[in-house]
Amino acid sequence: MLHDIRIDGSLYRLRPVTDGDAALILELRSDPELNRFLHATSGMIVDQLGWLAKYYQREGDYYFAIERRSDGNSEGFVALYDIDWSTKTGEWGRWILRPGSLAAVESAYLIYSVAFDRLGLESVYCRTVAGNVKVVSFHDSCGIANRKVLPGHFELSGGWHDAVEHCVDCAFWMELRPRLASLVGSAAKRINRA
Amino acid sequence: MDRIQIEQTVLAVLRTMLKQQFDSSADITREHSPNWDSLKHIEIMFALEDELGVAFSEQELANLDGFQKIVEAVWQKNAA
Repeated sequence: MLHDIRIDGSLYRLRPVTDGDAALILELRSDPELNRFLHATSGMIVDQLGWLAKYYQREGDYYFAIERRSDGNSEGFVALYDIDWSTKTGEWGRWILRPGSLAAVESAYLIYSVAFDRLGLESVYCRTVAGNVKVVSFHDSCGIANRKVLPGHFELSGGWHDAVEHCVDCAFWMELRPRLASLVGSAAKRINRA
Repeated sequence: MDRIQIEQTVLAVLRTMLKQQFDSSADITREHSPNWDSLKHIEIMFALEDELGVAFSEQELANLDGFQKIVEAVWQKNAA
């Protein structure tokens, strides 16, 4: 949906995705190293723009560019969607970063901040293809104990794949926030010393 | 700090952070360690900086993705 949420972190910010991001979205989603666990994407910019046009009309869907504060360059994308306002729950995903980007921790921190602190959600879940072990491990490393396997949840390349769902509620966010904030702050200090 | 000490320190940090024993230090890479994820990577690099008294550049923070590369980078910094 068209939204105006911007949130600044230490090194990165989240800002609304626009048509100007279509080329980078396409570039990243077409990278074979990055798209093994994603739904197939058309290689045509016009199709990406068409997807964005539909996204702008879709309520409860907040798509963000992950932008470096120092130079405004985008290093990836992340989204919050399928928000159910009656239960104050939503899913986060469409998370993709340029190879070599250090934005993973801070972009996760910022998307949780949007979910809990800006939108007032009470729980947020993330569903990852089980074979995407690095991302599953990322959520495990956050200490998220509320996890379960959803058998055959994803259809990718004609096959069905299990998902691992990690769920964070407000109470756990209170524990997770200071830990991620500490890592984000430490990263900013060390990178900015150069 | 000599190269052996650097290797021992790097190995100790990786074992602690990844909670894993390794048969050979040559095998320790991000690619081959399923739980060496983006969050762990940042924690590992910061722990190494603190333990070894070095400062990695942003490029190094992103690209030092295995035992051998880390040891070589720290060794070069010590030699410089």
